[in-house]
Amino acid sequence: MPVSRTRNFCIIAHVDHGKTTLSDRLLEHTNTVSQRMLTAQHLDSMDLEKERGITIKSHPVTMTYRAQDGKDYKLNLMDTPGHVDFSYEVSRSLAACEGAVLLIDAGQGVEAQTVANAHLAFAQQLKVIPVINKIDLPSANLELCTRQLEDILTIPAEEAILASGKSGIGIVDILEAVVARVPSPRWTDYPQARILVFDSLYDAYRGCIAYVRVFSGSIKAHDMMMLMSTGQKAEVKEVGIFTPKMEKCATLGPGDVGYIVSSIKTPADVKTGDTITLAARPATEMLPGYKEVRPMVFCGLYPLESDDYEKLKAGLARLQLNDAAFVYSSESSIALGFGFRCGFLGLLHMEIIQERVRREHDVDIISTYPSVIYHIVKQGGEKIEVDNPVNMPDPGTILEIREPTIRASIIIPNDSMGDMLSLIMEKRGMCDHTTTLDMNRVMLSAILPLNEILVDFNDRLKSITHGYGSMDYELGEYVVSDLVKMDIMINGDPVDAFACIVHREKAEGKGRQLCEKLAEIIPPQMFKVAIQAAIGGKVIARDNVREMRKDVTAKCYGGDISRKRKLLDKQKEGKKKMKQIGKVSIPPDAFIQVLKN
Amino acid sequence: MGEMTAMPPGCTQVAAPGSPRSPDGPLGLYVHVPFCAATCDFCAFYQTVPTADGVGHYLEGIAAEAALVEWTRPVNTVFWGGGTPGLLAPVDLLRLGTTVRARLGGEPEEWTVELAPASVTAARLEVLRELGVTRVSLGVQSFQPGLLDALGRLHTREQVFRAYGLVRAAGFASVNLDLMFALPGQDEAAWLADLGAALALAPDHLSTYCLTFEEDTKLWVKLSQGRVKLDPEHEARLYEMTWARLAAAGYAQYEVSNFARPGHACRHNLNTWRMHEWIGLGPSAASQHAGFRGANIADLGRWLAHVARGERATEDRVMLTPALLAEDALIFGLRMNAGVDLAALRVLFPAAPWTDVAATIARLVDGGLAKRDDDMLCLTPRGRLLADAVGTELLGAFGANAVG
Ligand SMILES: Nc1nc2c(ncn2[C@@H]2O[C@H](COP(=O)(O)OP(=O)(O)OP(=O)(O)O)[C@@H](O)[C@H]2O)c(=O)[nH]1
Ligand code: SF4
Ligand SMILES: [Mg+2]
Repeated sequence: MPVSRTRNFCIIAHVDHGKTTLSDRLLEHTNTVSQRMLTAQHLDSMDLEKERGITIKSHPVTMTYRAQDGKDYKLNLMDTPGHVDFSYEVSRSLAACEGAVLLIDAGQGVEAQTVANAHLAFAQQLKVIPVINKIDLPSANLELCTRQLEDILTIPAEEAILASGKSGIGIVDILEAVVARVPSPRWTDYPQARILVFDSLYDAYRGCIAYVRVFSGSIKAHDMMMLMSTGQKAEVKEVGIFTPKMEKCATLGPGDVGYIVSSIKTPADVKTGDTITLAARPATEMLPGYKEVRPMVFCGLYPLESDDYEKLKAGLARLQLNDAAFVYSSESSIALGFGFRCGFLGLLHMEIIQERVRREHDVDIISTYPSVIYHIVKQGGEKIEVDNPVNMPDPGTILEIREPTIRASIIIPNDSMGDMLSLIMEKRGMCDHTTTLDMNRVMLSAILPLNEILVDFNDRLKSITHGYGSMDYELGEYVVSDLVKMDIMINGDPVDAFACIVHREKAEGKGRQLCEKLAEIIPPQMFKVAIQAAIGGKVIARDNVREMRKDVTAKCYGGDISRKRKLLDKQKEGKKKMKQIGKVSIPPDAFIQVLKN
Repeated sequence: MGEMTAMPPGCTQVAAPGSPRSPDGPLGLYVHVPFCAATCDFCAFYQTVPTADGVGHYLEGIAAEAALVEWTRPVNTVFWGGGTPGLLAPVDLLRLGTTVRARLGGEPEEWTVELAPASVTAARLEVLRELGVTRVSLGVQSFQPGLLDALGRLHTREQVFRAYGLVRAAGFASVNLDLMFALPGQDEAAWLADLGAALALAPDHLSTYCLTFEEDTKLWVKLSQGRVKLDPEHEARLYEMTWARLAAAGYAQYEVSNFARPGHACRHNLNTWRMHEWIGLGPSAASQHAGFRGANIADLGRWLAHVARGERATEDRVMLTPALLAEDALIFGLRMNAGVDLAALRVLFPAAPWTDVAATIARLVDGGLAKRDDDMLCLTPRGRLLADAVGTELLGAFGANAVG
């Protein structure tokens, strides 16, 4: 099949607008997956994806489609995640395509990631095919959707295709539009082979498998390939395409999407965004790569059972093989023992990694409060980065602290405006722009400290808007902020797991809340135990653990002495298992309880 | 009794503080009489329903077991507990008493017998008096029919008054009433009423026990089913009320649950808490004697089989090391208001990590749980309410090198 009959496109949309379901219909219509083998949301192949009904990773698949012009076309589809945490997955997929099918849920209209993902596609100069999806819904509002297309996305309404992934409406229209509107593969006549790595997978038997889009040249087994960023060479063992299972083939040529198995075993050696070329006749210019994704949210992960440390370590190592965006290193905490400092792209990413550790690696874990990376300028000009409050230098040595901000686009119903603005204020944000989307909705543009949206921002947004609000964000600048490290102390000894970096104005409230929670959860103690929140040694909030009232055996006669003695010995052993904060023994699960809620 | 030595300030005392045992210290004799008419709901003591054969064999068994003991010095105190010793017929009481007397090596300073109010008769009391029993302990528990029922106790309020009258008339030197509090359904007023009723009888001694949920009792089952609930705050309040009320009535507290008018503290028990020696006879009876601590098998038949073969039926034998005795003298000694004499403990067990122990003691003192005056250490009322937690803390200070 000539390259002119290859089309590379992805499906992009806001969360849950029906990308994966629509993909099912495309797979079905093109007989890529037989009716019998097709499962609902077929491309969501990970257990977690199936269970949560969300796409986490982009999934490529190659289809053959006989168009109405009677010719066969090779369509390489990529289903992408909709959630904001995984927008880097969308960027990567876009880089491997010439076109994008942009879905809009007819019942919801344009939402935050619709806008964000459409802009990503425009920025990469892709042809965008607008599809108003889920038109089978009784709540479908086609008029509103087409108007939003024009007003918000500046896409002419007549380009829109009406479809329903559920009922199979508009499938042929979409396929025909892909054939007709998406350009055939670009940059095919570059003199040397240039192949973009857009993802990779680690396989225990086959080593590192690169997911690739060939722009020019071709590649086959036994070729010597070279990774352009490092110059590392390796022998190609196998090439193939996704159907969506990996299926071996002879060669991958221009415009093809597929995979390469090579002699490279170390996952870190195959970087997404890198360009592969042939060692014999190497290209000199790399394909435009993408920004390396950097984790933005950090927390400590600890095994609930200290015996599980090794298991957790092995689990994290495995997860990292397939998720370059996830980083970790070992750390230890007085309160929680030995564990790991982990970095994630966002909260959902963090949640998903934790769940996969629990499920796929069968380790019970607890996480500390999430933190972001702070930039600290010390007296004398030295700059350091801190992602763990425990590593915060002495306040006296700090000139200024900078925190990361985000630029958020928040789409909400008009009547939630007041509450939303208060929430933004409460979270130390600033709304600098509002756009009226239609009669019912507005889009707010706001700058917020990343740190402030980590905990409950999204939940609050949903509850204020009764589920109708949505938010997208991109990382903004670092700004100087009046931040302080707050320590939580038990009888004067700091408990590392609860140290946090907070805005000075919020320290007292948060300190009080933490002290109260700890005081409530730590079981009654025989000595007076004070819980204090302090900034640089100055106490800003305090509470006391309840005092033990009665712990005495009523009767202790001759016959009871052995028994009593055994009981006390047992209690003494039990005490050894407790976490020692200074002189106070605290059952390990008390900290866990506090961290849990 | 009641040799009044100089008291450390703040430590009230009816008896001398713990001077731990010496090889020729006082010796106690405990006889367990394992018969009860029915099992009380809270009871975890070993007891069984008496049958004529059973009692006969038991009496033979006690004689046989007594013959297996090396009686190296005179017995200072005797305590018959149960079960319900008072359930034995006068003739059986006499047999048991005669067997025991033969081993005492003289007249004991104190001889206590526990009696259940329902089985107190003039005939039984007369036998006990003749044997030389000096102290009667009546298992009253409560004066309130509802609560008595709830405990599965087989006596009435009237039976208590009648029994008390008979005991007093028989002229024993010391009479104790056992009471229980924090019973399910008992509020503060109900407990004060019980205390008042007991005080109105003017006993020489009072033991007030906070209800304990022992495993394998009916009450435990209720607790685990959630039909009754533990309320440490309520229990603590009842403890404090008890202490105040009894002090006001002239009864000095000398241990967590024990109160006496001057000169009436139970010496047998004081000696136990000071880690002196005692010999235990009968099924389930504990001994601390001749270098070992242990308890007899808690089963009448198996105990009999052993003694018939000429063996003592001791289980759970633990060697009495200076370390164990020092730790226990401290932990159990602190349950007494008089407290302990640390100097004596140091002599007993010089190798213990006394510096660590002293540091822990200092924390206890700082925390308002203990009082220390030179080498005299005792608990404050708050510390006494937490005596178990204090014990665990002190055990921790003794560390791993103290062999338990
Ligand atoms: N009524 C109706 N429901 C649909 C349609 N397409 C998808 N859905 C439902 O919408 C929900 C989301 O569908 P998905 O296909 O998983 O959406 P997605 O865009 O892939 O979601 P993410 O990958 O998490 O962003 C599911 O409950 C689907 O059953 C449609 O055409 N009509
Ligand atoms: S409490 Fe006393 S009388 Fe009741 S069953 Fe137990 S031993 Fe027998
Ligand atoms: Mg999906």
